[in-house]
Amino acid sequence: MEAVKAHMTIDCNEVSQKDLNKIIADSAKQGIKEVLIKNPQAKHNLGVGITDPIHIVYEGDVGYYACSLSDHISAVVHGTAGWAIGENLMNGEIVVEGNAASSTAASMRGGTVVVKGSSGARTGIGLKGGTLIVGGNVGYMTGFMMQKGRMIICGNAGKALGDSMYAGTIYVAGDIAELGNGAEIVELPAEEYEEIRSTMEGYGMKAPASFKKIVCNGMLHNFNKKEFGVWKTVL
Amino acid sequence: MENSTIRKSKVWSPEKIDEIQEKAELGRYRIRGQATKRQDLPSFDDLVFTPAGLSRVALEGYREKCDTQVVIGAGRVKRPLVLETPIMVAGMSFGAINSNAKKALGIAATRCGISTCTGDGGMHPVEREASEKLVYQLLPSRYGLNPYDLKRADAVEIVVSQGAKPGTGGTLLGQKVSEEVANMRDLPLGVDQRSPCRHPDWMGPDDLGVKIDQVRIATNYEVPVFIKIGAGRVYDDTKLAAKAGADAIVIDGMEGGTAASPEIQLDHTGIPTIAAVVEAAEALHEIGMKDEIKLIIGGGISNGADAAKAIALGADVVYIGTAMLVALNCNKSLYVEDYEALGTVPSACHHCHTGKCPVGIATQDPALMARLNPEEAADRVENYINSITMEMQIFARSCGKSKVTDLDPTDLRSLTMSATMITGVPIVGMGTTRKPYWANYDHSTEMTEMALR
Repeated sequence: MEAVKAHMTIDCNEVSQKDLNKIIADSAKQGIKEVLIKNPQAKHNLGVGITDPIHIVYEGDVGYYACSLSDHISAVVHGTAGWAIGENLMNGEIVVEGNAASSTAASMRGGTVVVKGSSGARTGIGLKGGTLIVGGNVGYMTGFMMQKGRMIICGNAGKALGDSMYAGTIYVAGDIAELGNGAEIVELPAEEYEEIRSTMEGYGMKAPASFKKIVCNGMLHNFNKKEFGVWKTVL
Repeated sequence: MENSTIRKSKVWSPEKIDEIQEKAELGRYRIRGQATKRQDLPSFDDLVFTPAGLSRVALEGYREKCDTQVVIGAGRVKRPLVLETPIMVAGMSFGAINSNAKKALGIAATRCGISTCTGDGGMHPVEREASEKLVYQLLPSRYGLNPYDLKRADAVEIVVSQGAKPGTGGTLLGQKVSEEVANMRDLPLGVDQRSPCRHPDWMGPDDLGVKIDQVRIATNYEVPVFIKIGAGRVYDDTKLAAKAGADAIVIDGMEGGTAASPEIQLDHTGIPTIAAVVEAAEALHEIGMKDEIKLIIGGGISNGADAAKAIALGADVVYIGTAMLVALNCNKSLYVEDYEALGTVPSACHHCHTGKCPVGIATQDPALMARLNPEEAADRVENYINSITMEMQIFARSCGKSKVTDLDPTDLRSLTMSATMITGVPIVGMGTTRKPYWANYDHSTEMTEMALR
């Protein structure tokens, strides 16, 4: 009986996107440990819907929705990522060595997504669990309607940070252009900083000297006519 | 006594006065369930069928078959959705309604060979078990969304907006965010849940095409993908949805239902279903995709006449939500004291938002839920679906059609000028564009001649 290969290589110049996803999914099912994707050329929907454990290495840029709707996977992107990398990730680990576009880890439910560069608007939007680390800056509406999980942002954050968040925690080392409705800055306990530092170290990243901790202030949890000033902007 | 007559103002009607005073108390707009209560909307009642006579031969009801089956996604996906009758249970979330109601709808739909739909809030295991054919909604909130449920779905519906409240997100007031609902949606217990109006990871029709491709990959190209849009700019939206790659387009008219929505929006946004179906059908026809992409129409459909007329105007399938709840027992004259406690009466209740549904449908309260027996309720819904199917067949047969979906606009006449303007269906008395023979008479001349004689 032929032994299952531990590694395989797929060249995007040689297979269609449809076939590529099928090969990755089948490989994961067969127990192949790692797949190297050559020439991804920022194509959309690479590595979508994979629910068996596999490590995917992208040797270049990826387009929309890379590694999305997946579970148990790990991936490294040696390049930049398009919109919504890691969208709805259930569990696993994704590392982007460059920048990521908008909606990074949108509605992620678990696992860890690391962007070593910056990430665009709506980063971590509707986050439902897991950890998102961004080495650089994040854009407008980051953490909008966040529900659970945590975001660690080493650079600056754009306007409407954490707007309408239900729960979860955002840590920002740099400047915050504007806090969103229902978000507030609270004191960062030393043990939490230590946990952030340790988590980042695991990805070869050095944590900034301090972070602001942003949480939901609960004012938008239940309507209160006495807080019209807050509610008029969200209802 | 002078001025003793009590005169109610049309401008300052009792309803308007109530509304103002309620807002003065609440400090916000009114929120309620059900649908618009406007009385002045054009509707399918403005059309009638013109059955066969000598110009067409009717089908014999007892002997000649009238096919009702519709297939969505044929030739486009590996596992098309086969509906035994052109009816689907519209999306209603677990949260808005409870698992007993979901179970009843699932059992009934399965017996009738049609689908149910998850609505927002994820796929409840009871619903999946009860429904042989289940449409999985993918909404801006992404509550409960996961790749495993996606793979277990029989179709995926990407919801852009809802007919009752197009352009806004969902609302589920805290009294209905029970522990189970909160867990499924990853929300804190008892919050007034507001969900976003835009999807988190795509913005426009070009992105939507990439999103559909993603969903197809995640579901192994097996099941059809729908796009649901609240009826507004239907003509353009339908074309864009088709271009994005949908297998079916759902257009939800302004009569569509909701479990909770700003009341002012129910009455003042969107366009009526009768107009929406015409615009959508015309858009698909114009781009040559009327046969390939199925058109599903929802919003206030309550009987076989509504359904058959929607089909005659271009729909392939009708979505029915509120009427299914009514078949479950919604607004039935039971537990009348509980309706009164809500300030309403059976047949006028729209208090789904309160979580205190007297008949145990739109509630997560275990004591109220116990009032809905899923098996008995399933029988009622099954009967209702079968009744509508038979009603549709009556119209099709009487118009000489052996297939319900063969009904077309030539089978209809309009009763009102506005319905004629909206649908292009000739008004009664004007069979086609021809005029009566006396229309060309010179009436003034005749009158003059008669007077001079």
